[in-house]
Amino acid sequence: MSLTFPLAHLMGGIILVFAFSLLSQRRLAAMITIYQIQAFVLSAAAFWQGYAQHEVNLYLTGLITLVIKAILLPIGLRQIVLRFNMIRAVETAMPVVLSMIVGVGLIGVAVLVVLPSTMSAVSLTREDLAIALSVVLLGLMVMVTRRNALAQILGFLSTENGLVLAAIGMPGMPFVAEFSVALLVLLAFLVVGVFLFRIREHFDTLDLTGIEEIERRGR
Amino acid sequence: MILVAIFLPLLAALPLGLMGTPSQGALVNAVLSGIVFILTLVAFAAPGSGLVHADELGLVFGGVTGFTGLTTAVANIFYLREAEPRLSLRRWRVYHAMCQVVLGSTLLGLYADNIGLLWAAVEGATIAATLAVSMPRTPSALEAAWKYFILGGVGIGLALFGTMLVYLAAQPALGPGFSAMSFTALAAHAPGMDGSLLTLAFVLILFGYGTKAALVPLHGWLPDAYAEGPAPLTTSLSGPLLNVALIAILRFRHLLEANYASGGTALPPGPFLLTLGLASLFLAAFSFSRRRDARRFFGFSSIEHSGIAAFAFGVGGAAAIFGGLLHMLLHTLIKSALLQVLIRAAALRGSTAPGHYGFSHLRGLIHSNKYTALVLGAAMFALTGLPPSGLFASEFIIISQTIQRSPWASLPLGLGLLLCAIPILRNFGPLVFGHAPVRMKPSKATPETHLVTLHLALSVVLAFAMPPMLVGLLSHVAEALK
Repeated sequence: MSLTFPLAHLMGGIILVFAFSLLSQRRLAAMITIYQIQAFVLSAAAFWQGYAQHEVNLYLTGLITLVIKAILLPIGLRQIVLRFNMIRAVETAMPVVLSMIVGVGLIGVAVLVVLPSTMSAVSLTREDLAIALSVVLLGLMVMVTRRNALAQILGFLSTENGLVLAAIGMPGMPFVAEFSVALLVLLAFLVVGVFLFRIREHFDTLDLTGIEEIERRGR
Repeated sequence: MILVAIFLPLLAALPLGLMGTPSQGALVNAVLSGIVFILTLVAFAAPGSGLVHADELGLVFGGVTGFTGLTTAVANIFYLREAEPRLSLRRWRVYHAMCQVVLGSTLLGLYADNIGLLWAAVEGATIAATLAVSMPRTPSALEAAWKYFILGGVGIGLALFGTMLVYLAAQPALGPGFSAMSFTALAAHAPGMDGSLLTLAFVLILFGYGTKAALVPLHGWLPDAYAEGPAPLTTSLSGPLLNVALIAILRFRHLLEANYASGGTALPPGPFLLTLGLASLFLAAFSFSRRRDARRFFGFSSIEHSGIAAFAFGVGGAAAIFGGLLHMLLHTLIKSALLQVLIRAAALRGSTAPGHYGFSHLRGLIHSNKYTALVLGAAMFALTGLPPSGLFASEFIIISQTIQRSPWASLPLGLGLLLCAIPILRNFGPLVFGHAPVRMKPSKATPETHLVTLHLALSVVLAFAMPPMLVGLLSHVAEALK
């Protein structure tokens, strides 16, 4: 019992650190690796929560995370990087240092918002929730600051990791949410994979600064 | 019955996506939508129970969704005749499959008595709609679809986080398990929930589902999706989808309000909704000018009306919520009618492809076809909310309630409504009665224009001569959710 809190918090912390380093990393291959490690830690966290809460469902969540997010998705993403030959660093919309400062601010906001409003909740969930909200916000931040379509998707996936982290910390939360997240992330990925090819086809790049067709043509 | 109405379209999407010619697909799509419409009516007699069941709110909006789905699917058959060469066989199959997925998930979102299932339905519909918007594969369609995906992804993420926080907030009252995710149980135990956590959850949900309802500040996807996607699916069917998001916000608002009213630690939800509602209203008012594309123009009008509904929910009280719900019902009918007749108008002028909906391109429609032009004019006029439009009734209720309950907000509301009506009226004249572009020959109306007339007639009947049964249902809902 005594190990439950520290270990859960440790893994949440690791996930947060990787979400943060996703914000600072500008090369796609490295971003995918970071995402992969994050997903591995997430599945470990799910297994640990399953063990601590004696919930079979959480083992299943961990398994789905492991297979889909930590193994299958990175393979697909790497293939896209290879196919498009996107080895170089991608453009960011604001300087990396600035975005990291904003990122620290976001973590502060998450902690300040969640901790006071969850006074009565179980303490395990409380800190986990603050961490999860930080991961979600950092993922959104990645989506905002990257101009490359694939990098935006990585931000989206990191956001989903934060959501699952929140879900596994909820005491006895029915399985519906996590399952649908995993399934729909996969679906979204397939849709997006199609997109990427089309965007490339039309614009010769995945850099989204070129996509201003509607602006150009007038509304 | 409810389950069949939801899962028939979802399951039928697979064979639709894999086989058949486009015209067969359109026909099957129409038949399925017809069956679903009948099932949503049958639901009034057998609303079901448990995880997925139709409460009164679900029944009313399910019926409208079924009706809109059916007319859209029928109009789609005529649309296909003109548009078939533009997409490949495979894309038409996917398109028809996505029509069914959107219809099924919309109904699931309305009927689900589970906050997780509601979320899954909204996400499913978003993915299907994103795929549909990208279908024409033009650069601008891809841009619109990408915008939809990114903004929709953000919204859905926030909504899920909010959903989990609601579950957590319900722990003190309901304990772990499915009951803490059921709207029925949550509404019954709202006073015992953790108020401050519930407030945080509501803010996240407001922004999350607000994205799907196209409320400011995450509204940006809607005008582009309307303008660039393949016409019937991304426009007409999106009205019911906006309703799902607004109803979700309404239900969560009720939890917050109930907790606040019974002395819990929750903040009152009114100010949040009033602010977002007014912001959407004014954003739309100032975005109307200088829109050259008619569908983008009316996309902003959808933002306006979502804002009005959110505003009504913010005012609170049974009468205002009744007004807001009526407004949503009528807006769905009128807007989908308008967008269908716009497709017709574009077809009269040669092509229904995106980019052929410019006001300058469509102007003087009366010289091409009188009936279509008059119906289009009637639909546009109905959107302004001037009598005898049905929206006049709902806006009247909302304004009078605002004066009663939060008088300071009535002035900006009136101003916003006025500012939104003016640009529509300004476009009304040239579009319907103006000089037609040169070399325009008159052509015949097609039968599906009657469906549009039916929509408009129904909206007037609903507003001014609503069947007593429906009045009873809606006021009961509004009383329960006030």
